[in-house]
Amino acid sequence: MDPLYAPLVAAVEGTVLTPDQLTSEHRTNYGRLFDWTPRFLVRPRTAKDVQALVGFARTHHLSLTTRGMAHSQSQLAINRDGLLVDMTSLGAIGAVDPGALTVDVEAGVIWRDLVHHLKRDGLVPRVLTNNLGVTVGGTLAMAGIGVASFQYGSQGDNVAEMDVVTGEGKLVTCSPSKNAELFWGAIAGLGSFGIITRARLTLRRMKPMTRTYYLLYDDLRVFLDDARRAMDSGRFDHLESWGAPCAQGTRPVGGVRQVFAKWFYPFHLTVEFDPGSEPDDKALLKGLRPYDNLYTDDCPTIDFLERMVPVFELWKKAGTWEFMHPWIECILPWETAADCIEQVLQDTPPGIQVGGHVLLWPAKGATSRSKNFMRPEGDNLVGFGLLPAVPQRFWGDVKERFANVSRLMLAFGAKRYLSGWVDFDADDWKAHFGARWDELVSLKRTYDPDGILNPGFLPFEAPRRTPAGTP
Amino acid sequence: MTILFGSPAWSEALRAEINRSSEYRNAAAKWGDGFNGNVLLVFDADASLPRRHALLVELAKGACQGASFTDDPQDPRAGFALRAPFSVWKDILDRKTLAATAMLTGKLKVDGDKMTLLKHTAAHRSLIGCAASLDTEYPTA
Repeated sequence: MDPLYAPLVAAVEGTVLTPDQLTSEHRTNYGRLFDWTPRFLVRPRTAKDVQALVGFARTHHLSLTTRGMAHSQSQLAINRDGLLVDMTSLGAIGAVDPGALTVDVEAGVIWRDLVHHLKRDGLVPRVLTNNLGVTVGGTLAMAGIGVASFQYGSQGDNVAEMDVVTGEGKLVTCSPSKNAELFWGAIAGLGSFGIITRARLTLRRMKPMTRTYYLLYDDLRVFLDDARRAMDSGRFDHLESWGAPCAQGTRPVGGVRQVFAKWFYPFHLTVEFDPGSEPDDKALLKGLRPYDNLYTDDCPTIDFLERMVPVFELWKKAGTWEFMHPWIECILPWETAADCIEQVLQDTPPGIQVGGHVLLWPAKGATSRSKNFMRPEGDNLVGFGLLPAVPQRFWGDVKERFANVSRLMLAFGAKRYLSGWVDFDADDWKAHFGARWDELVSLKRTYDPDGILNPGFLPFEAPRRTPAGTP
Repeated sequence: MTILFGSPAWSEALRAEINRSSEYRNAAAKWGDGFNGNVLLVFDADASLPRRHALLVELAKGACQGASFTDDPQDPRAGFALRAPFSVWKDILDRKTLAATAMLTGKLKVDGDKMTLLKHTAAHRSLIGCAASLDTEYPTA
């Protein structure tokens, strides 16, 4: 028996598991690119447990990694030889304040559960990610972007207050006006400076129905013009777009024939409405220039928020959910977006649609105040993501090409969104964060002086120590 | 038939290969349209190449008007130059390294407007593919 097992069990009210009790799922994340075994997996019962775990990790020179639904794809939500803290055990939804339009939640709450909890009051978080099966703490620590981000920024921009356990084990309440340094350090901070245990989220009132216009574009630049027009019009509540390949045949790429595609750009524009006050379609779509107007869909808003479920179910049924997911997402400057997207997609085989997809989302730079969610300068931005599912046996063949996609994005001035596969070296990280990097190093020294929190991704220099009582 | 790298026959074979390649014709249809698309490939001397070679490839709108080795590594006729030690080029031409990787990681140095190059990634990939497809005798250390 591991000599630290008994003292760890004694230190917390929650559950402690040893490696022999773990499944392969615990050793990886949605990316399935890494296989790391923690020394213990712990499910805390309270924030006090989280404090105790930080204290335990410091005392015994162990690293500590937080894990929500583990939808990240790099060295996040996995731990090697330390404590893996499964935050989903902190899943309580607290008080809703209908006047202030806020709700208090523990960090392990799944967004889907929260959405269904709030629907009876006609309330909803301002920003929701496409996949609702992820935790509040997980996406706040990443940024959290979705189809309403062009209006409201990231999920991290819609937090009124949080409780954070620092790397020194202190439980600190912080907000944009109170302990702001820690607050903005924890938002999109990848768990590097503290562990979010509670968040007070800002809500909005939602209307019960949505109408979505499914427009199709055959020209990227016309689509982008219309996307900007749609953002600026103020007519729409949600904007989403995909890249959709239509296979054409085979052609040589570097001398090797591969299937190539003509790319189309589906654009989904959604408005919420009250029954009896149906939207004026003509007025809403005035000035837009799609190649085709395919379909207009009315559905309950709650179903709209769950619109991706059938896609994910298909991936699960097809088995591609178990593939590797080296997703590459970025935020591009408006000025270079079309060129970059065209260069990437010309070499992207249509097979990416098998268990994956290509996302585009128009965005507004000024909607986010987050200091750690890096994005290019400019009023208008374009999110672009290549979201493949790669059978493990093909990874060696395609890794370099995917790395070049990321490099190409950066060369066009993009900032990577960090939930995906990010294979940066130390210089890349410094370039990513720019002047913010030195501040992050300083925050690390202040709030996690022993460097125990979520190691392995951001390249902080941490004191090296031998774990105590290694069995 | 194997052709000696650095010889007039090799540069002529490259010109012919480019003009035979439908991949290049399609990928580079807009390369050199409205700007100087001539590319200088500079193979810097290293252990396996005793002296530097520079190859001027005259390119416009999917076709090659000429290719010749030149003594001037800064040949003013070029709109762009791609420079690397010969060993880096050799790995690219042997298809051990993707040209895109070399370019994006800085192993292959670029002179000229990098943004224009980035907008035509398929054109240079195809150009290098044409060079790589020649049956070549390379100098050895």
